[in-house]
Amino acid sequence: MTETPSPDALAAEFDCLMARAGIMVPPQRRTAALTAYADLRGQIALLHGRYGPEAEPSNVFRLVPQGGK
Amino acid sequence: MDTQDLSIAEMGRMLRAGTVTAGTLARDALARITARDGALHAFVLVTEDRALADARRADDELKSGRDRGPFHGIPYALKDIYDTAGIRTTCHSKLRLHNVPKEDSVAAARLREAGGVLLGKLATHEFAIGGPSFDLPFPPARNPWNPDHITGGSSSGSSTSIAARMVRMAMGSDTGGSIRGPAAWCGTVGIKPTYGRVSRRGVFPLSWTLDHIGPLSRSVEDAAITLQVLAGHDPRDPASADVPVPDYRADLEKGVAGLRIGIPRAFFATAKAITQEVVAGIDRTAAQLRAAGAVVEDIQLPDYALFSAVGRVIMMAEAFAIHEADMQTRLLDYGEITAGRFVLGAAITAADLIHAQRARRELTDAVNAALSRYDALLTLSALNTAPRFDQPTDALSSASPIQTIPFNVTGHPAMSVPIGLGASGLPIGVQIVGRAFDEPMVFRIGRAVERLSGWESVTLPGG
Repeated sequence: MTETPSPDALAAEFDCLMARAGIMVPPQRRTAALTAYADLRGQIALLHGRYGPEAEPSNVFRLVPQGGK
Repeated sequence: MDTQDLSIAEMGRMLRAGTVTAGTLARDALARITARDGALHAFVLVTEDRALADARRADDELKSGRDRGPFHGIPYALKDIYDTAGIRTTCHSKLRLHNVPKEDSVAAARLREAGGVLLGKLATHEFAIGGPSFDLPFPPARNPWNPDHITGGSSSGSSTSIAARMVRMAMGSDTGGSIRGPAAWCGTVGIKPTYGRVSRRGVFPLSWTLDHIGPLSRSVEDAAITLQVLAGHDPRDPASADVPVPDYRADLEKGVAGLRIGIPRAFFATAKAITQEVVAGIDRTAAQLRAAGAVVEDIQLPDYALFSAVGRVIMMAEAFAIHEADMQTRLLDYGEITAGRFVLGAAITAADLIHAQRARRELTDAVNAALSRYDALLTLSALNTAPRFDQPTDALSSASPIQTIPFNVTGHPAMSVPIGLGASGLPIGVQIVGRAFDEPMVFRIGRAVERLSGWESVTLPGG
């Protein structure tokens, strides 16, 4: 996710993700959606390769005894 | 007497002294809505019968000696994502146009129980994300300072109704800045309380772990009075915190002498869209706080871009999970902007989301560390004043002039307070950020900013 794909590869990747999710993007909205996806992909690249295995996500939870806080 | 300029506290004193009735307050507000909302579109539904019934109840109860507290008899309005029993709640969307909830949201119930008078339901960006748009069942709210300009969103009708002096307090929601952004661009106060401080139950979700609900209001004191009504544990909201509720007005006038305030200047100083008049505004605010005895200095936080990436990935992933079935079968029933944003959630992988959640922990720790050295942070709410409707923008881009999402990611309380007008006559706001559950400090500093900036003497549009 860190490399920048070619426009064709980006479009193929987007189409694959949409198909997997069962989303039909209308042709007239596809160009804007692809631009937005490229932008999001750039943001996602900031998040990858940043942490070692010891870094835990924010939604790791803890249990408390019944009645505790 | 123009009752629209009375603060909530002043209305309360006059109601108890018998110099005004809740019926008069409600009728004045309804008249103001009738006069102004045709051009501004703040309301998607005016609940006149409900308002007059609420007002009658408030007056009857005060006459018979029942006083429900500081919100008794006070008019208010709700963003149209708050469930209201028996009253249509649309999310400003074709998909929920005929939705009539059976129960009130917790916030609506608390405001009703506190004696409030419901004026109606307010415009929002569709599902609190898709706007401003002209392809939805209702028109977008317009900025009362200049109707050619947008309000910011998504609590667009909330900010418009307050700036146009229709109501003193209107409820909003804030997933990436939807309270603080429109508050800044329309010249109102808007607080996003600590995550877990106010129950979200019955408010349509955009992103469960980023959603916060709270009030927009004319003044900091109005916000403090409202949060007093709303705050408290709700065992049926899994995010609700069981933390004692302090007196939010107790410290309002304590001033800022001796407080330490940090400015994460890199958040905005290097942003492409920054305008010099908003930088001058925050520098003037910092100088006023220093002159009032606070220590105000620049600090370092992680890059704004990281906060923004984390917030956007989590928001889009969670929003897509909520809307997945409708996106698969009714995509064209969403507005174009809404659909364009929600579609992105389908492109986020499990690893992307988990990396965002790991970064969220890092960023929350970094803000907590800064707030162990400072009583609060001060930053901009937005990089500019409200743009025009016809100004070309890429609605699907991550580049936003609203600088609020870091504290949705971390959950800290954050409030936008107006500090003046820019050269175009449009408002500028700054943002005050506190420690978790330390809303009293946010209100205290916000009240000082409100007073020192001279905002209270600014004439509102249409005044």
